[in-house]
Amino acid sequence: MRSIVYYVREFLRPEWLRKFVSVKTAPLKTPSYSKGYPSLTGRECTACFSCMMICPAPGAIAVLQRKEGWEPEIYPGHCIRCGLCVEACPEDVLTSGRILDVTRRDNTAFASSYHLEVDDSLCMRCGNCCVSCPVNRQIDPQLAGSGTSASDEVIMRVEGGRVRILHPEKCTGCKTCETHCPNRAIRVARLVEGVQGGEAEA
Amino acid sequence: MRNILQEIKNAVRSRSIHVSYVDVGSCNGCDIEVLACLAPRYDIEQYGIYVHNNPREADVLLVIGSVTPQWVDKLRDIWEKIPEPKVAVAIGNCPISGCVYARKGSLTTPPVENYIPIAASVPGCPPRPTEILSAILSVAPLIFKDYEEKKQ
Repeated sequence: MRSIVYYVREFLRPEWLRKFVSVKTAPLKTPSYSKGYPSLTGRECTACFSCMMICPAPGAIAVLQRKEGWEPEIYPGHCIRCGLCVEACPEDVLTSGRILDVTRRDNTAFASSYHLEVDDSLCMRCGNCCVSCPVNRQIDPQLAGSGTSASDEVIMRVEGGRVRILHPEKCTGCKTCETHCPNRAIRVARLVEGVQGGEAEA
Repeated sequence: MRNILQEIKNAVRSRSIHVSYVDVGSCNGCDIEVLACLAPRYDIEQYGIYVHNNPREADVLLVIGSVTPQWVDKLRDIWEKIPEPKVAVAIGNCPISGCVYARKGSLTTPPVENYIPIAASVPGCPPRPTEILSAILSVAPLIFKDYEEKKQ
């Protein structure tokens, strides 16, 4: 009998009734530290495209040119919220959760470089890659006329009937050479390395 | 009289949303997030949402995954089995865009919108259980409230 009274009293407690009838947990709030879709911090984008290059999801981010300047745009239906674009951006244009705080605290960054590779068995020595390369043309404007270059400063040039890579570190990863190669002989690979302690370049 | 009946139906339906889910070729990430909704941490039933395996008992269909060719006709069959009023919600990036599977040479054929009408989509890879819950809770009243009056 005492136990029944106990239960009845327990179930008639306003606190118990309120908990029983209403929603028990309130999980519909996202914690502030959660990684969301990257948003803009308002800092100026220099259009280096590091965010686009590192993004593993196709079509998730595009750096668009607007009236005010360049601006990265995130497409939520494609973005997987990995936060790599936020980490890769050298200018802190993007932010998401606590990623920027953590990278600053740990002094981490991504260093990237480009690796150019020419497959000699496929290359037919047309020189399209050397001529189309925008960096090459900037360094040596004469290049477009002859296909070869007298300058030692170009990224690549045709030497003795072969494409020679002279300065791969000047490559910006635009892949113009890849698209202009008729035989798919030239490949541009982006190498990304996580670094800690001020070694990062871009 | 009709209005009172409709009010009762609205009141009951707001606390009795029946959900069924179908995985049309996902990586299992979104399935786990839907599972988390059922678990005590999020406890989907406290909001009056109940999960069924049978589409004939469901009002809301949660579609997970980028669509593989085997699912194209079966997904439509499942959608047709759900009684009116019904609504489909795309969970995760895959049914919206194909996410990381939307590459050249991939065998998947997203988006799900091409096969069944989608009322709401929850982007994310995977979406959080909170996002899934709030999507269901926000889309259900839009579709089910005053359904009979709207139909006339």
